[in-house]
Amino acid sequence: MIYAVFAPLLFAIVIPFLSRMKHKIHTGWLILPVPLLVFIYFVSFVGSGFESQVSSYSWIPSLDISLSFHLDGLSLLFALLISGIGSLVVLYSIYYLDREERLGHFYTYLYIFMTAMLGVVLSDNVFALYAFWEFTSLSSFLLIGYWHFKERSRYGAIKSLLITVSGGFSLLAGLISLTVVTGTTSIREMVGQADVILESSFFPLILIFLLLGAFTKSAQFPFHIWLPDAMEAPTPVSAYLHSATMVKAGIYLMARFSAIFGGEPSFFMLLSLFGIITLVCGSYMAVRQTDLKAILAYSTISQLGMIMAMLGFGTDIAIFAAVFHILNHATFKGSLFMIAGIVDHETGTRDIRKLGGLMTFMPMSATLALFGTFSMAGVPMPFLNGFYSKEMFFDASLQLSGYAGTFVEVLAAVLPYLAVIGSIFTFVYSMYLFFGTFRGKYKEEQLPVKPHEAPFMMLLSPIILVVGVIVIGLFPSLFNNGLLTHAADAVFGAEVTKEISFWHGFIPPLYMSLAVVALGTVLYLTKTSWEKVYTIIPGNFSFNRIYDWGVNQLEAASNRITFTYMNGSLRLYMILLLASVTTITGTVLFISDGINFEVSDVAPVTVHEVLIAIVMAIAAVATIFVTNRIAAILVVGVVGYGLAILFVLYSAPDLALTQLIVETVTVALFLLCFYHLPNLTKRTESIAHRGMNALISVGFGALMLVISISAYNSQFFSTISDYFTENAYKLGGGDNIVNVILVDFRGMDTLFEVSVLFGAGLAIYSLIRLRKNKGAK
Amino acid sequence: MSNLAVLPIVIPLIASVISAFIPKKLGLSRFIAKLFAIIFLVYAGYLAWVVFTDGIIVMQASGWAAPFGISIVADYLSVTLVLITSILTTAAVFYAPSSLSQLQESYYFYTFMFLMISGVVGAFLTGDLFNLFVFFEVLLMASYGLIVLGGGKVQLRESLKYVLFNVFSSMLFVTTIGFIYASVGTVNMAHLAERIQEAEQAGILTGLAVLLFFVFAIKAAIFPLYYWLPNSYIVPNPVVSALFGALLTKVGIYSILRVFTLIFNHDIGITHEIFTWLAIFTMLFGVIGALSTQNVKLIVTYNIIPAIGFILMGISLYSSAGIEGSVYYLVHDMIIKAALFFLVGALVVAAGTDDLRKMGGLITRYPVLGWLFFIGSLVLAGVPPFSGFIGKILLLRGSLEQEEILLTVAALITSLLILYSMIRIFVRGFWGDTVEGLPEGQNKKVRHLTIPAAVLLAISIFIGIGAEFIYPHVETIANMLLDRAEYINAVLRE
Amino acid sequence: MEILMAILASILFATAIYNLLQKQFLRIIIGTVLLSHAAHLFLLTMGKLKRGNPPVLVEGVTNYADPLPQALILTSIVISFGVTSFLLVLAYRTYTLNKSDNMDELRGSSDE
Repeated sequence: MIYAVFAPLLFAIVIPFLSRMKHKIHTGWLILPVPLLVFIYFVSFVGSGFESQVSSYSWIPSLDISLSFHLDGLSLLFALLISGIGSLVVLYSIYYLDREERLGHFYTYLYIFMTAMLGVVLSDNVFALYAFWEFTSLSSFLLIGYWHFKERSRYGAIKSLLITVSGGFSLLAGLISLTVVTGTTSIREMVGQADVILESSFFPLILIFLLLGAFTKSAQFPFHIWLPDAMEAPTPVSAYLHSATMVKAGIYLMARFSAIFGGEPSFFMLLSLFGIITLVCGSYMAVRQTDLKAILAYSTISQLGMIMAMLGFGTDIAIFAAVFHILNHATFKGSLFMIAGIVDHETGTRDIRKLGGLMTFMPMSATLALFGTFSMAGVPMPFLNGFYSKEMFFDASLQLSGYAGTFVEVLAAVLPYLAVIGSIFTFVYSMYLFFGTFRGKYKEEQLPVKPHEAPFMMLLSPIILVVGVIVIGLFPSLFNNGLLTHAADAVFGAEVTKEISFWHGFIPPLYMSLAVVALGTVLYLTKTSWEKVYTIIPGNFSFNRIYDWGVNQLEAASNRITFTYMNGSLRLYMILLLASVTTITGTVLFISDGINFEVSDVAPVTVHEVLIAIVMAIAAVATIFVTNRIAAILVVGVVGYGLAILFVLYSAPDLALTQLIVETVTVALFLLCFYHLPNLTKRTESIAHRGMNALISVGFGALMLVISISAYNSQFFSTISDYFTENAYKLGGGDNIVNVILVDFRGMDTLFEVSVLFGAGLAIYSLIRLRKNKGAK
Repeated sequence: MSNLAVLPIVIPLIASVISAFIPKKLGLSRFIAKLFAIIFLVYAGYLAWVVFTDGIIVMQASGWAAPFGISIVADYLSVTLVLITSILTTAAVFYAPSSLSQLQESYYFYTFMFLMISGVVGAFLTGDLFNLFVFFEVLLMASYGLIVLGGGKVQLRESLKYVLFNVFSSMLFVTTIGFIYASVGTVNMAHLAERIQEAEQAGILTGLAVLLFFVFAIKAAIFPLYYWLPNSYIVPNPVVSALFGALLTKVGIYSILRVFTLIFNHDIGITHEIFTWLAIFTMLFGVIGALSTQNVKLIVTYNIIPAIGFILMGISLYSSAGIEGSVYYLVHDMIIKAALFFLVGALVVAAGTDDLRKMGGLITRYPVLGWLFFIGSLVLAGVPPFSGFIGKILLLRGSLEQEEILLTVAALITSLLILYSMIRIFVRGFWGDTVEGLPEGQNKKVRHLTIPAAVLLAISIFIGIGAEFIYPHVETIANMLLDRAEYINAVLRE
Repeated sequence: MEILMAILASILFATAIYNLLQKQFLRIIIGTVLLSHAAHLFLLTMGKLKRGNPPVLVEGVTNYADPLPQALILTSIVISFGVTSFLLVLAYRTYTLNKSDNMDELRGSSDE
């Protein structure tokens, strides 16, 4: 199975080389066999005797990450769609994409996607699932941005990436939470521990994380906004990723986890609610669109909402209907996208206002579209598969009982009405799509190209899909036993038996369907008279605006925030730094009871030392106030030499000596620099400015004082110094203990101290010389 | 045997000194630099292999037993980081000739670079707190030399701020060592660890721990102490920025990782709680910084900060998943940061500007660079199966295990924004119509600049896909950090 | 006495920081010099003061001042010296290039 999953990816690597020959043979032909073989491989599993199976390959066993593929009914259905529609899309693209296009890029992205998508639906390991999931988002990003010189493509690509990847990260958090709770990374084993998950305190969090992942990917309200903009991708991509497969990844995820969450009121509520809202809003908005692909995009959104809602219902009939509709939607929507692409290709526009009356020029396309749109609308005809699943949807929406709770009950009661409303709009835009394009007045002057029928090979893919629509409609049982029931079983977790038949008698779902057709026809015919409603709802409001505002704000606000403190002022940086260090350290010291003023074990105070200290302190403070270079040197010198005297008094002759030398050289350097640098000026800052400086410096000084005294008074251990005193001569061979430490015990320090000087010397040298060199040029 | 441990510090030091004598002979300098870089690389690999097979190697400098002399400790963590450092050094040596002007190269670039490497490696290896200070100074002094290299107006201005910040943090470091010495009476890290475990009423120690944390936090660029970083990292040449971004802040975060696992874990309730909050702010403010600018160098530079936040996140969790995540992320980030700085260097050469608003359509002329940049962005954002991903799942797992929801969400938002901040460069710089006035004749140079970056990216991808080879080592490192006995015994009881 | 020295060192610290917060290069550099003095004084004080003779071995004397902090300070003094020298030259060069010794005028803007 690993070969089936990775075959497209392996080919993706060689596609750039194959595409060099594109002028001899269209790259599509060379690689068409790949998805076809994968499809045949998966078809071989179809049959009533299907058993789910697992094949596992280790990847990172120590982290429990493996490529373990689990093929059950649900995965099989998806794998067939991915490889089947994939083959048709490749075939279609051969005629859709000109050889002058960057075919190598296109097919590489497409095949990366194919592997990723197969990986998503087959992976049993949650991390592998996540990895594949992100790759579907990324390949989608690249495909939407395929015509990257178009501004809209770039916009759409980034939008889809931001929304789907944020959902992806949320999914990751959910999946990791699941592994934390269950201790396993295998979905099958998680299903076995469903009760552990439902009872854990993580459950609400897991549900939210996973739902965010699924809703963003499957374009559920209010995350649907990326899908219409994704239509900037070439049409084969829209047909494939953005209607048949990738957008169903979220559906797949929810279906997969239904085995765990199914029956939970919160799961029912969230999925049904968001699903039905998406259905209604999507179909309502679709009617308003003028671009063929935009209509189809909103239509996809609404259909996804419908499937999501059915998964939320969670009854056996609902789940069966959901699975059935996944298949049906892929067939009719795939064909419609391809027809839209053909219309675009042959007339040069996708604007439905410019189209019309194409029936005579493109009879074949029109026939195909007729089947597609009528199936989508759920027109009750025995050869249209869309009707079957639509009716089951109505049926399922009427059978919602068993959930307690006021809100849930209210929701269950209104769901059938919302389902009908959504379906009415679906009917309207389906009719609009078909009649608006193929019937009505032919507007020659508005078309850039004189329309004519597409070549047969280009029509082949939609023909196959429409044949699918009809075959499923006429002989549903062909698909029922071998495929659909297995898929529904896998989702439901128990046997689902369902006979699909056209006629059930005069039951409520039939009335609902008829109501949809009747009201839909009325609304379609009177469309122009009620269209103004769109200026009221949604009017100017849209989630797109929120998104645009958000993204703009993201940069603008970041800029504002960052440049309020990153203004290049050293003083501000220092103040922020010192204030944070002082407050946090001070607070910690306080709450951990670390302040210790119980003075013990101190040396006696003597007068001359006090005097030196006072002089030094005065000199130090004076550095702030001097305005004269010489005075500045003087006061700094006083502090430095004072320190040397202290070293003498405190039995540190070596230090005193070094300090004297260093201080003298430093003063000399200072003199040198003072000569070149401008004289000190009077400080001109405001009082507040000075007050702030004083507060910060005194605060930090006080912190140091408190810590030093506390540390000094908390001598928990004797120091290691006795060892040095004892062994300096014995082992180190020297009388001067400090020297012995420097050159022997801690010779390492000294060695690198020297290299610091070495570096400083070179740095100074190059700083001076490099400048001179430049000046000479 | 034990002298093995000190060689990684000595080899670059020798290279540094040798190249100081031949600054004008560029050909020879380059050859020496490449030779030593490769020797260093091979040796670091060998050392890592020895340590992971036979256990920690301790060299007591000049043969003085710990805690009286200075212990150089080649433990699992330090040899790993030394190995990464050697890889980056080698890449930098091959990148430098195309990136620097000959004049810059001849003004002791290699000397400073190897001196800095020596300091970095020393900081990783030393087991002595004061010695750590000395190595900090070595690497800082060398970094001063590197940052002023070529010395333009802006460069010197920002260098001055950089130096002043570091002088402050160095002096704070010395003072803190003094306080610690007063209270605990030793500066050897293993000895400190042992003594602090025995200490009672350790309130003051918590205060000292936090102070020491801030010393390192300034170097590591943790919120709210990173102000010095962004502008000073974009002024030098990209090869210098790459070394800074990949190594210097990492020395800071390494020190935090070391000190707050080995020494100061007596009051996790306070210290590590602070870390949690700082990690959140570091991640968010860092990535907000990355979104705030259109300067490509600055975008990558700001992205240093959230990475540090991620590593701090793992330290704050102080669990095996958390520490493993931190170590994994540290290793990953060192490599990917260097690679991205290299790529940005190449991008700036290719586009002739570092302003994203003036770029566009570069992918037509520089497809390889574009795709490497794309992959690099994915690696940085932690997209599977690349290296950032493994670190991220470990960190998130650790965080969720402790029900740190806020931390988890902050990390996720940060990852998303990192991706966005980087993908912007790809979309606006590489996609779209090719802008007019691209510098001509840069193809060869760009290619030379791209190759080292490509090698680093390949390593980075391997660290992700080949996690099975890496993770057990990371596990060993994390176990050692969490169970301090092995380290302490190796240093004090041999 | 240690307490007094700690107070002195803290005052040095505070004045050092006050100088660091100024605009003029010279004051800032004076700040760094004071800062290193403060750090060294702290280090010395923390090793206890006046506990015996200078740490040079003399026959019959067993009471010596703690030699380790002294060794550390010595290392640190030399390092600080190197850094200060560099800083002075850097400040000088920055001044000549930027024609200003005022930190506030050297903020830079985001457009560079």
